[in-house]
Amino acid sequence: MRPLFLSIWLCLSVILGATLTTGAQAQEPLRIIIDEAIIEPLPFAVPNFQPENAQAGQMANDLARVVAADLIGTGLFREIPATSYISSVTNFNAPVQFADWKAINAQALVTGAVSVEGNSLNVKFRLYDVFSGAELGSGLQFSGTVDGWRRMAHKVADAVYTRITGEGPYFDSRVVYVSETGPKDDRKKRLAIMDYDGANVQYLTDSNAIVLAPRFSPSGDRVLYTSYESGFPRIYVLDIGSVQRRVLESAEGTMSFAPRFAPNGQTVVYSLTQGGNTDIYSMDITTGQSLRLTNTPAIETAPSYSPDGTRIVFESDRSGTQQLYVMPVTGGEAQRISFGEGRYGTPVWSPRGDLVAFTKQNKGRFHIGVMRLDGSQERLLTASFLDEGPTWAPNGRVIMFARETQGASGSSTLYSVDISGRNLRPVTTPSGGSDPSWSPLQ
Amino acid sequence: MHIGQYISGAGHLALIGWMLLGGLFTPEPEPFEMTEVSVISGADFDAMVAAAQPPQQVTEVAQPLDPEVSPQQPDVTSTPDRAIEQPAPLQTQTPPEDAAPVVTEQALPPETRVDDTPPELQEPVGDIAVLVPQIAPQAAPRPVERVAPEPVAQPDPEATPDPVEQQAIAPDTTGETVERETQEATAPPEATSEIVTEATASPAASARPPGRRPAPPVQQAAAPAPQTPNTPNPEPAAQANTQPVNNDDVLAALSAAQQPVAAPSGPPLSAGEKDALRVAVSQCWNIGSLSTESLGTTVVISVSMNQNGTPQNDTIRMISASGGSDDAARRVFDSARRAIILCGSRGFNLPPEKFGQWQSIEMTFDPRKMGMR
Repeated sequence: MRPLFLSIWLCLSVILGATLTTGAQAQEPLRIIIDEAIIEPLPFAVPNFQPENAQAGQMANDLARVVAADLIGTGLFREIPATSYISSVTNFNAPVQFADWKAINAQALVTGAVSVEGNSLNVKFRLYDVFSGAELGSGLQFSGTVDGWRRMAHKVADAVYTRITGEGPYFDSRVVYVSETGPKDDRKKRLAIMDYDGANVQYLTDSNAIVLAPRFSPSGDRVLYTSYESGFPRIYVLDIGSVQRRVLESAEGTMSFAPRFAPNGQTVVYSLTQGGNTDIYSMDITTGQSLRLTNTPAIETAPSYSPDGTRIVFESDRSGTQQLYVMPVTGGEAQRISFGEGRYGTPVWSPRGDLVAFTKQNKGRFHIGVMRLDGSQERLLTASFLDEGPTWAPNGRVIMFARETQGASGSSTLYSVDISGRNLRPVTTPSGGSDPSWSPLQ
Repeated sequence: MHIGQYISGAGHLALIGWMLLGGLFTPEPEPFEMTEVSVISGADFDAMVAAAQPPQQVTEVAQPLDPEVSPQQPDVTSTPDRAIEQPAPLQTQTPPEDAAPVVTEQALPPETRVDDTPPELQEPVGDIAVLVPQIAPQAAPRPVERVAPEPVAQPDPEATPDPVEQQAIAPDTTGETVERETQEATAPPEATSEIVTEATASPAASARPPGRRPAPPVQQAAAPAPQTPNTPNPEPAAQANTQPVNNDDVLAALSAAQQPVAAPSGPPLSAGEKDALRVAVSQCWNIGSLSTESLGTTVVISVSMNQNGTPQNDTIRMISASGGSDDAARRVFDSARRAIILCGSRGFNLPPEKFGQWQSIEMTFDPRKMGMR
């Protein structure tokens, strides 16, 4: 009888197992893969900030407009006009009627309050994820002077931008560039500095001498640039706060240009032409001690450090055409990274370290592009008669460059573009501009 | 008989012989008439035809007359246009040159003091702050007896004369007395103090429909068999054999297996139905504001669905993520959750008869194909 019962037990086990398996299958969730999406600006709403006293009335509106302009300027956001609002924000601490904002498809909501006392300005804001019905991060408050109200607005916009996208901030930054006026055959150039959006332009030099290629220091307090003040190109270091400058020493009969700071802020890498040959050198700006990094009969210039300061990307025609190379920071064997058609120049290492931006000339057109450090995944972001001189935003998401139009009356204008190739837009400046250099975040 | 056979045989022989040799006497066919033709070219044919046709008559065409020239020449001199009087231009003052912008090249604005430390903001007072209209508490209904506990006696109907006269029926005193069956006492009909709607008395969960699987016979076998009186119990040899196995465990496991399925499941969703859901979600998944790191991050999200095709928003959960940091995954999840809520608010187009198949959904959101890298 025991074998008989074992058989029955086995049968029961099989039935039980099958039943359980069937039940488990019935509870299996439906699985689907979503690998396609839409790419559209995120709709958001920024009602005018609430003035907490009478002096803050106009300032509250202006602050909200700058915040909205910053977000719209990224191309990632779309503001819902105030005329579409169903409910209004009349109290910074009042709860948000999420249903009203959801009804107009506002997916993010920024509320703020402003108070002004004398020359002191205080701004606080909150960011809400409308569809989750919750605050996105904690409320923040900034205090400063009334004169710096735009910086306050940029700070608010940076916080909103970072919380929604996950990208680093970049609105509270500045750009140094070469301001250009006059026709091409008699163009006046001088250094200028401005907010990233073209506001608050101030000039650092006069137009008595040609100036080229200004570059910010990692701390944002100094600028390297090349000037023909002495008749030959020489490198100067300008302190932005005091506007004092000094020349970097170089041997007689040489030409030095294309300088750029190392991440440590103490070393400068640049090109030096001596005896008809152009090579790359580095120099300690404190001691003046220089080091030759390349030694070939080719023209090698436009060096740029990697963010960790261990490597340098530069352009060279050692292969017969102008291409990009990467070498150790102490010099030595260089590795070519560009292999596409045309000529590559002015490489700039991304602050993230993963990409190199460059200028490419091919078939009579100029492009701004990016590629990985091994030369792969090259993407051309722009195309025009003349695009050149890319510079990275502090977050590595946006590139600014100069675009010059054709003809004797053509002018140079600054443009910015997202590294996806979208959102190409000019940067409004009082006059023409070229050779931009983006500062680190302030 | 023989004569007839001879006649028949001779006749057949004659017929056969005529059929075989009759053709010898047919006349020869008449010879064909032959006509010789010649092939000519198209040009020769045209020339031949043209020569055969008479020329067409050509009529004289009158030449046009010369136009008459008038001896008097017309006057073609024109008078000069009269000058149009134009108003004198208004004298405008030349605007002064724009003053050069006063830009301080040396002095820069003082550094702005920015306090990055989070402020101590006064938190709003909960979700029921001042702007929330205060709603008066709903008044409790005064208990009123909607149904009288005691039934009200119906009034006696009014007596109406019957038009047909009937004799009065006298009780039969001679018949047998019929004993009425005794009826056990029954409970009075229940009465309630008020009408209770079904909605408030509905169960918390609807009863599940029975599963399609028929009850296995094992359950019946396991049921205790009714004991027949005066029947000796079988020899408990089998009971002795059941000792090593715990029957309770088996019954418990079997009964657990017999639990009805959580939701009625129809046939699996077709590829088209799955694709429709995928497209519906894709059309609301906006990755335009995602960071480059998030664009390389894949997340798996679970969501429970209502039977009308709308998602239960509070059940949207991130199960797993890969390819990026937690921060990047959270932003992908936020965008995916927005897509599910946004496009699911009107209900996804899912077959209701297959609700059990899509009651729980796992969606893998993979933006890498759409990313820039």
